[in-house]
Amino acid sequence: MLFNSLEFLLFFPIVTLLFYALPHKYRWMHLLAASCVFYMFFIPQYIFILFATIIIDYVAAIWIEKAVERRKKAYLIISIISTCLVLFIFKYYDFFNDNMLILSHKFGFYYPEKAIHFILPIGLSFHTFQSLSYVIEVYKGKQKAERHFGIYSLYVMFYPQLVTGPIERPQNLLVQLREEKKFSYSNISQGFRLILFGLFIKMVIADNIAGYVDQIYENPIIYNSLSIITGLFFYSFQIYCDFLGYSTIAVGTALAMGYRLMDNFKNPYMSKSIGEFWQRWHISLSTWFRDYVYFSLGGNKVKIQRWMVNILIVFILSGLWHGANWTFILWGFAHGLVYITERLITRILKLKKSENKVLVLVSNTFHIIKTFIMVSFIWILFRATDLHQIKIICKSIIHNIGIADDFKVEPKIWLLFGLFILIDRLLYNTRFDVWCNNCNEAVRWTVYSVMIFLIIAFSSVNNFPFIYFQF
Amino acid sequence: MKNMKPVIYKFALVAIILVVLNYIYKFTFFENDIQAHSNIINIVRNVVNEKAEVIYVGESSNISFRSDDIDKRPISDFIHDYYPTKKFGSITKEATHAGIYYELLRNIPENASAKTIIVTLNLRSFDANWVYSNLETPLQKSMVLLKKYPPLFNRFLLAFKGYDIKTDKEREEQFKEKWKNDTLKFPTPFKYKNVIDWDNAMAKYGVRNADGSINRPLTDVACQYIKTYAFQIDTITNPRIKDFDKIVLLAQERNWNLVFNLLGENVERADSLVGKELVYLIKQNRDLLVKRYHKNKVRVVDNLEAVGNSEYIDKNWTTEHYAEQGRKAIAKNVAECLKEIYSKDYVKVSYNNTKPDNFFINCDGNTPWGQTQSLTSEKSFSGEKSSKTGNKQDYSITFEYPIKGLPDSLKQVSIDMQLFQNSINTDAKLTIEISGKDIEPKWYGILVKELSTTTNKWNKANYVFTLPQNFYQANLIKVYVYNPTPSVIYIDDLNIKFKR
Repeated sequence: MLFNSLEFLLFFPIVTLLFYALPHKYRWMHLLAASCVFYMFFIPQYIFILFATIIIDYVAAIWIEKAVERRKKAYLIISIISTCLVLFIFKYYDFFNDNMLILSHKFGFYYPEKAIHFILPIGLSFHTFQSLSYVIEVYKGKQKAERHFGIYSLYVMFYPQLVTGPIERPQNLLVQLREEKKFSYSNISQGFRLILFGLFIKMVIADNIAGYVDQIYENPIIYNSLSIITGLFFYSFQIYCDFLGYSTIAVGTALAMGYRLMDNFKNPYMSKSIGEFWQRWHISLSTWFRDYVYFSLGGNKVKIQRWMVNILIVFILSGLWHGANWTFILWGFAHGLVYITERLITRILKLKKSENKVLVLVSNTFHIIKTFIMVSFIWILFRATDLHQIKIICKSIIHNIGIADDFKVEPKIWLLFGLFILIDRLLYNTRFDVWCNNCNEAVRWTVYSVMIFLIIAFSSVNNFPFIYFQF
Repeated sequence: MKNMKPVIYKFALVAIILVVLNYIYKFTFFENDIQAHSNIINIVRNVVNEKAEVIYVGESSNISFRSDDIDKRPISDFIHDYYPTKKFGSITKEATHAGIYYELLRNIPENASAKTIIVTLNLRSFDANWVYSNLETPLQKSMVLLKKYPPLFNRFLLAFKGYDIKTDKEREEQFKEKWKNDTLKFPTPFKYKNVIDWDNAMAKYGVRNADGSINRPLTDVACQYIKTYAFQIDTITNPRIKDFDKIVLLAQERNWNLVFNLLGENVERADSLVGKELVYLIKQNRDLLVKRYHKNKVRVVDNLEAVGNSEYIDKNWTTEHYAEQGRKAIAKNVAECLKEIYSKDYVKVSYNNTKPDNFFINCDGNTPWGQTQSLTSEKSFSGEKSSKTGNKQDYSITFEYPIKGLPDSLKQVSIDMQLFQNSINTDAKLTIEISGKDIEPKWYGILVKELSTTTNKWNKANYVFTLPQNFYQANLIKVYVYNPTPSVIYIDDLNIKFKR
């Protein structure tokens, strides 16, 4: 079920009302059932895959908790391999198969071609990582193994964040799922605000930009450099608004029932460096990689060469997490490379912070713009369907200077674009629901009215699924 | 409960806001949205503005023609020939069906001049392949803003995809499921119980050549006939029945005379390729529809077998696209039926064989000329539209005519047209193209800049081509402006006069 669908607009209030109407002891059943319905709107039979992951990690966590040191590790490894195997089969097998075939042709060894062509279960990477985070936390002794199978299933399947996160930690979500949630007007109202804001960002901004981005990426060769660069910047905002919109609706939906999920974004395009960008972009994923991969590899408490390798491994894995394609691997690698370069430059130059406010402002603005441009260009690797398309886009940017084209952006789009930048600036380091709390009622309701109007009258009529659904 | 009070109060506030927003939307962006997403309504508006009394509603069967047709006019125009004193209008849109017709007819204002509605009853539109066609999503989408709810609610439905939206794959699954699950019933035992079995058997055993080998192209056509016509209408579940029933009710409410024009299907070919079982199903469905709607006091014109195999344009596909004589036959039957309503206005029509030598188009209305996608409302010399060429639309509105339909001993063709160009175009050409089975195609062109150097205003251009000596050996003549450049040229009021 999509958040921006009529089905969800009916599903959400019914589930929320029933949630509050039921006694606490039955709520987990209700939410689990609702989550199953939500998930089964996509490909119903895939729910069994989800259950397989749940059973593996549920049992593994209990065994890990009971076991002593060596066995503990063995159970953890078995659990990680089993969970990742499901992910591998559905997401990476065909990619692996294709590359093995290429290698077999190149080096002349025999490789039996066996492509599977499964449709990727929606949100598989998200709930796999959430599940893994649970077993790892149990292994580390930071989380008790959950004995209640229903509650544990709900932790993996909690519908607001089931398909595109935020990837929650058991210490946050599992604990909350056991708490009795009282009806609170404040939660309902804040939840609605976030849902409204999320729908606005997704349907009015992201979806209206999406058509232009598709236009550029479908046939970049016919556009001039300026148009392509405009398209690249549009994509930066499309993916941000798309994912921010979805995450905000997820957080709002959970909040309406009293559950607090983590924020996935904090104005990422206001970052002054790639390092800061990753502290503000898809926070639940970047902290997952930091905590479970980067720290496990030794983090920054190692020699500089090893640290650089660690960074590259983390970023490449992060790229691979997004999709089984060399484009994603390159995207991760590029981010890793820029991150390392930035850190090395800072280390070498050892710049002191100026106390002159004007200088600070100019410097910050420069760094924000520089980071945004870099991120936008690296997004090419993410958005392109294959390496050939990347080549064509880069070639077109360099060669198609000043050639007439048909890339005309409606004035409405520029207005919406400007509006979003203003909103993003206004909500710097805060959230829409919190911002609303600080406004008086008249302003608040005017903002709601404008948003409702824009969502209905200005949203794109074309169907653009959430970008992160594919992961 | 105390906690619920503010929630209820806020909901009331939201309801008031929505009512106000609805009015704001209705008087600001609604019409723009209609033009952007549901401009099909303009066809209805035109018919209403023209004060048409008889309205013909149909799909591509109305306007399709064969290139060698001498009279390329639609079925609706041929019907009009029988009632010249009546004001006729046509609502024609390709690939549409009764569900769409209903929404369009519902949008005819109650005080409009319409008295009689002739609705195309296409047997094929009851088949799963069409009911669950991938064209359904865009069609349904184009109808959302025309629904009878408040404008803001319609826009809400459009935004939240509150219509029958499915992917092509989902649609395919739907009709395959239907093919599999619907058991076909025959009066005598038959080997195949459903479409899938029958289609598989046909694909396997095939249509045979004289030497016993499988004729693959014909087998493919036969399979297509099975997939298209092997169904039995279930009046309870078939959505098309519901659509036609709604039209009947609407006609009763509006006091319209309702005529269903049951279109001809190529029964002859169905029989020769597949066999009598398929013909049985086709006729059974026809009988059911005729009986059902006669009972509902609708005049049903049964044209199922009115058109012979030779008059079907598409030989390798199942369509209701008829050549000239086919369209005329259908029109004649409908005209006969209309006698019950307009007996005094009926005139006998005999299409004589006078060959015309003058052709004119002002680019408005349904035109039997080619490249109609070049028509635009951006500019016009007369009427509302002109033909826009350039900027990826290489061809202007195109005159296509079979040479056998022209008088003898022609020596020249004189072309007059109104031109509008923003700048002098260096490459666009006014072109005549002559082609045929036995001769190589030939193109004769004159640069548009040699005809007119006026920019930014309409200007009359004229050129006389001398016809080649082997003109009568060719089959087809085309006249158009060819403009492969990005620079746009508009043309209007194109007049083509052949001279001896």
